[in-house]
Formats: sequence, C-alpha cells, structure tokens
Amino acid sequence: MLLESLDAQNFRNLEGKLYCGKNLNIIFGENGQGKTNWLEAIYLLATTKSFKTVRLQEAIRFGEELAIVRGSIQQSAEIRRNMQVALQGNTKTLAINNKKETIHRYLGELHTIVFNSDELEIVRGGAEARRKFLDGGIVSIYPPFVQTLADYNRVIRQKNSLLQSAQENGFSVEKTAELLEPWNEQLIALAARIYKARIRYVERLQEVLEKKLFGKEEVSIRYVSTLEGKGDLSDYAALLEERLKLRVQAELASGHSLIGTHRDDLDILFDGHDLRKYGSSGQQRSALLIIQLATLSVYHLQNHEYPLFLLDDIDAELDYRRIGQLLEFLSGKTQTFITTSKESFVERFGAGAEIFTIENGAVKTL
Amino acid sequence: MLEYSEPVAKLIDEFKRLPGVGHKSAQRLAFYILRRPEAEVENFIEALREVKEKIVFCDVCNNLTDVNPCMYCASPTRDRSMICVVEEPYNLVAIEKTRSYKGLYHILHGSLSPIRGVGPDELMLANLIPRLMPQNNEGIDVQEIIVATNPTTEGEATANYIARLLKPLGVRVTRIAMGMPVGADLEFVDEVTMDKAMTNRHDI
Ligand SMILES: [Zn+2]
Repeated sequence: MLLESLDAQNFRNLEGKLYCGKNLNIIFGENGQGKTNWLEAIYLLATTKSFKTVRLQEAIRFGEELAIVRGSIQQSAEIRRNMQVALQGNTKTLAINNKKETIHRYLGELHTIVFNSDELEIVRGGAEARRKFLDGGIVSIYPPFVQTLADYNRVIRQKNSLLQSAQENGFSVEKTAELLEPWNEQLIALAARIYKARIRYVERLQEVLEKKLFGKEEVSIRYVSTLEGKGDLSDYAALLEERLKLRVQAELASGHSLIGTHRDDLDILFDGHDLRKYGSSGQQRSALLIIQLATLSVYHLQNHEYPLFLLDDIDAELDYRRIGQLLEFLSGKTQTFITTSKESFVERFGAGAEIFTIENGAVKTL
Repeated sequence: MLEYSEPVAKLIDEFKRLPGVGHKSAQRLAFYILRRPEAEVENFIEALREVKEKIVFCDVCNNLTDVNPCMYCASPTRDRSMICVVEEPYNLVAIEKTRSYKGLYHILHGSLSPIRGVGPDELMLANLIPRLMPQNNEGIDVQEIIVATNPTTEGEATANYIARLLKPLGVRVTRIAMGMPVGADLEFVDEVTMDKAMTNRHDI
C-alpha cells in the first residue's frame, strides 16, 4: 500500500495537499507550525482515530463545522482508492471512493505504525502498554482476535463485579467458587487463546528482531506469564484452571480477578538488563524502534506489504548515527513519514527523500 | 424546582423508567401524549391495563401468556421430551418462526450478569428441574435440554451454569450452534462470524 497524496480541510491548522514519495517523506518545520498534525491526519485516515486526543471534535478548526481528511491510496498497480474521514461535531463519516462505508469495511485499507513519545510507554510504562502493543500486533495480522480480546475483557468485568458483590454480601468461599465457575470456564478458554496467540506472536517477533541494529548492545524480548513457575505452562488451560481453583479465597478478599492474561507482561531487555529500570532515554527509544521494526517485518511476512511508518520528532533523543542505521533498514521497505525541526536533519538525510516545509499548517512551495 | 408542572414531570419520570429511554426521549414522548386526542390516550391506557390484567407468566415455562399453562405447554402435539431454554419470550417467537422445533420451552427472562445484578436467583430457573420429572410432564421423560441463550459472554455463562446444574440429573444438555447466517454471501460475513463458523465446522 502506498499513500500517494493527502489533503485536509479544516483539520487543525492544515492547508493544501501533500504529494507523498514512495520511500522517505520528511515533514520539516519549526515547532508549532503543524508538522505533527500532518502525521495525525495520516493516522486518522488509516485508523479513524487520533493519537493526540480521544475527543476528535477538538481537531476541527475553531469556528468551522466540518473537517475532512482525504487520501489517495495505491493498493496495487491497478487499484487506487480514495479514502476520506469527515468530522462533524462528534460524528465521523467514512468513505471509500466517495461511497459511505462502515468502520468495519473501512479499516484494513491502510495500516500504520507510529513512533512518538506516547509509544515510549511500551518500553518505560506499565505492563498494560506492552499487552496493548502485543494485542495490536496480533490484530493487525489476525483481525478476529479483536473479538477474543473483547470477550475476555467482558468476562473479567463480569467476574470483578461478581467478586465485589460476593464480598459485600459476605458470601463464603464455597458459594463464591460456585458462582465463579461459569465465568472462569470462559475465562480459561479465552485466556488460553490469548496466551497462545501472544506466545506465537512474540516468537515471530524474535525471529525477525534486528537485535543489534544500533550497535553492540542487544535487545531481547520475552513473554512473561503470571503463571510462570506455578506449573506446566505447555498445558496453559489446565494450569490456569488449577490456579483459579486455588485462588478463589484471594480473589474474594481482593474483589478482583487476580490471574489471567490481563496480568501478563512482555520483558524488554537491553543487554540483559531491564530497560524500564536501567535504560537511558536513548536506549529506550532504540529498543522501541527495534521492536517496532520487528512488528513491521512480521506484518510483511503475513500480508506481503508494509504498513506506513510514522515517526514524530525522532531526532529529539536519537543521534544521527542511529537514525542513519534506521533509515538504511527501512529503505526500500516502508513508506516512511518523519517530522523534524532541524535543518541539519534535512541536509543529512534529504537526498532521495520527498521534503515538505510546513508553515502555518500549509506546505510551503519554494 | 420542577422544570414542568407536576403531572408532566411525573409522566416524564415514568417514561424515563423504560429501557433505552433517556431524558430527551422521555420529554418527547410526554409531549406527544399531551397533544394526542383524549380517546387515543384512553386506548393506550386500556392497552396497558389489559396487558397487565390478562398476561401472566406460564407456571410451567415462564412464557408470557393469557392462558395458564400457555399454548405450548398445553398443546397435545408438542414433543414433550425436549425443552429449549431461551433468555426472552421474543427468542421463543424467533424459534417458532422456523417451524422446525416442536418441543417445549423454558424462558429465563434474562441472562447471568453480575454487572447488572443478575445472579442465578434472579433467573426464572427454579421451576426447570421439577419439569424433568415424568410425573410433572404428563408421564414423559425429558431426553434433551437445548440451551439457546445468546452467543454473548452472558449467554455463554448462563448456558454453562445450566449445564452444571443439570449434569447430576443425567439429562442430555446441548448448546445451539453458532456461525454463519444462511443465505448470506460469504463475502459479506464479518471476520468474527467467519472465525466462529470455521471453529465450529463439522463433517458433511
Ligand atoms: Zn408454558
């Protein structure tokens, strides 16, 4: 897939149209001019969401009713599609080739992976960000997994609610165990599917991980189940069932579901050290890039094409040596969009790239 | 302070008790009623009163009915060896439309949902087990309980609960199959449905 052009009306401060290059696109401009808004527009076009806000109406230009982001996508040599997201108040209308589409049909046309400071949560934040990273990667290569995750979350919510009311009503452990059974049975089946999918996905990431892309320090990843050390993980469902039976009392006391894939984590190690505790900011960025590149490669192996790669402010804490190594890896693979405010960046990496200079949201013509 | 005079505010409050009706809709409904001719409103009141007076839960299967036991439970031609368990009376109607099921029903009036405060005691389940005894079923043994609750996590939990409840009694408990809508083009079936249909495939 290739984003050929992109234009926006009343979306934040954006004006005009980008005619995108096949490989590297550098969006250059001073801070506050709207570089990141262009990345946000691409992300919106692909996902119908923003990476900046959950309230999309904030992105409609002040005083305007309707914001539109449009893109022309080349899906194959013969197939071009026009995608459009229109925002009006808090309603969102999606169209492909000027025909209204449901979100279900719309998603899947264009895929992106984003590197920005929010995504750094994956390497330095809580386990939830890492589970989301894995689950998002699995969904991108196996869309029905969305339903497994939704069902699992629903079961956990129901189970938590049951545990809380059992606590309030002073139910015995036996009675609670009995009431939990119909929920735990589903929890076990769904968790076993999630565990298997995540383990397999981490294996696939490991197979393509460019461990030493940025030099001699080595990045490694490992899926960590909360059931580790508790028994035979090769029969996850049986082990989970056993643990759930043993832990009813603890779950009743805490009023929460204590065991399952919603407690698992992904270890990201930098030269064998825990990146969260010991990593420098630069090492964290390097590690995030390395695992994101692995998701690009896994996606490619599955779908025979690359998602768009959107990198915001990459030069803030990554030196030019590493950026050079990154761009070399991406060259000939992804269509890449990078924002920068540094002229030296453009001088160093601009050869062969499409360069857009942004002023007040618009592309400055030279 | 009341936004409207007391009778209007009271009516709006009553409408707001209805499922799926928020404040705005309740106001619209109330003002709609206020503008209708008296006779029309009388008919509406009469319909409400009649449904409450004449419709009762069937003592046997919990169906909503104007005769007790209901037409299904009382029918001499239904197959009394099968009971199909559904969540709501409208699920029964949907199954009846197929004309392929000739057995009896049992209506739970809900599904397990701790979030909504629905546990096993809130479901109309207590009168299911006595139905399995031949002396309560015109001398006929119930051979199979078909659980046709919704394919949601709540419906699955309910099915699971019923299966556990009935297991010691030795009766066969089955779950309806989930998957592809018949008559739909494969192209228009979403991935989730397709995934379920593939998982639940069988030999032909
Ligand atoms: Zn009946």
